[in-house]
Amino acid sequence: MFRKLLSSQTIIYHLLLFFSFSLSVNYFVDLEFVNFLSYVFFHLTLIYLVFYFFQFSLIFVSFLYGIFFDIFLIDFISPHLVSFLVFVFLFYYTKKYLLNFSSIRISYIIIGVTLIMFISEALIANIFFNYPINYQNLGWLFLTLIIIFFPSLFIFSKIDKL
Amino acid sequence: MTLSFKVKAISRSRFLKNFFLSIIFLLSFFLILFSKTDYFVINKFKSISNNYLYPITSFLVAPLTIASNLQTQFYEFRNLKTENYILKEEIMRLKKWQTLAIHNNLENKVLKKLLNSTDSNLTLVKTASLVSRNDFMFSKMININAGLKDGVINNMAVLNYRGLVGRTVDTNIDNSRVLLLTDPNSSIAVKTISNTNYSLLHGAEDGIRLVSAFNKDEKLPKLGDLVVTSGSAQVFPSNILVGKIVEVTKEKFYVLPFVDFKNIDYVQVVENK
Repeated sequence: MFRKLLSSQTIIYHLLLFFSFSLSVNYFVDLEFVNFLSYVFFHLTLIYLVFYFFQFSLIFVSFLYGIFFDIFLIDFISPHLVSFLVFVFLFYYTKKYLLNFSSIRISYIIIGVTLIMFISEALIANIFFNYPINYQNLGWLFLTLIIIFFPSLFIFSKIDKL
Repeated sequence: MTLSFKVKAISRSRFLKNFFLSIIFLLSFFLILFSKTDYFVINKFKSISNNYLYPITSFLVAPLTIASNLQTQFYEFRNLKTENYILKEEIMRLKKWQTLAIHNNLENKVLKKLLNSTDSNLTLVKTASLVSRNDFMFSKMININAGLKDGVINNMAVLNYRGLVGRTVDTNIDNSRVLLLTDPNSSIAVKTISNTNYSLLHGAEDGIRLVSAFNKDEKLPKLGDLVVTSGSAQVFPSNILVGKIVEVTKEKFYVLPFVDFKNIDYVQVVENK
């Protein structure tokens, strides 16, 4: 039973999601790159999971992660919750068209969606909660995304083959 | 018969999905709304997530926390020689100050006796240690291991040996979150040590300095002036060290806090006597 549970890719993706979430919300002063890495990896994993393993329950999972990210990182609920749910809803209503694209085009879409999510989170936090947009942090996030995008896809493809 | 059953099943699942989506949408809307209005439910939700989810995440990342601490120790060890030299110089400087301080202390005691004044306006509620940090990306907050059971309530001043750290928010039974001075949403009523300028400060965009949001009579202080709490907003007790003015522009000034926010280990929660 456990073997079946562990061999299920979805479970592995959810474990990855929770682990990267845990790393993102615990700030390491001297290992700040780990926080950036895990924050970007969480977004990538969530988007990949929604694209290739969409289940209706993912909407609820995104809802919960959105709330917890907002509580831990901002103390006000909105930026992550809104950006996660908007993305999942948009995917839910356009999946018929999106899944017809080639895998390379989907990869570009994943990069684009991740970037848009980072910007929208920063914008919402700025407009509603007065947190100034930190361009340096955004730059680090973009750079981290570019660096870890292909290694992450490689890890995901390995998980898919399990 | 089978076809009608299938159609019914599909329409029922569609109805359930739409119902679920509506619930999620409504819940999100109310959570966002109550988050802004500081409703009781949101505070309860925050305290539950801090009490139950946070320990799990901290446990999961414990190896990395240890690695981070080891790296800090390694850097400290590497800089030991330079630090030793700096400390020796500081000891010499402090010895001169100590002589002056003893003299002033004696003078103060005599003057206080003459004026019949009390010693201090602060009461220590609890000394607490840092549990975890949340100052990545957006807000600037830390978690400490003192809560309602220790007499800590919301909006209490938090200090360390260098000066003002912040104020308590989201207090639970066992722990509390501290909103650091450097957070853009924290507001502190301050004055210069010479009592000439009164202002409001909040966290600057760089996340390191504080910037003035309001200056009484539009008067700006001088570069290098020391800034202390004025006590006028009733949140922070008066005369707690905040920082030093490092930049003055036409309309505002910037303060570098005395507290090193990246190296906080222990803090004291205090209240007005």
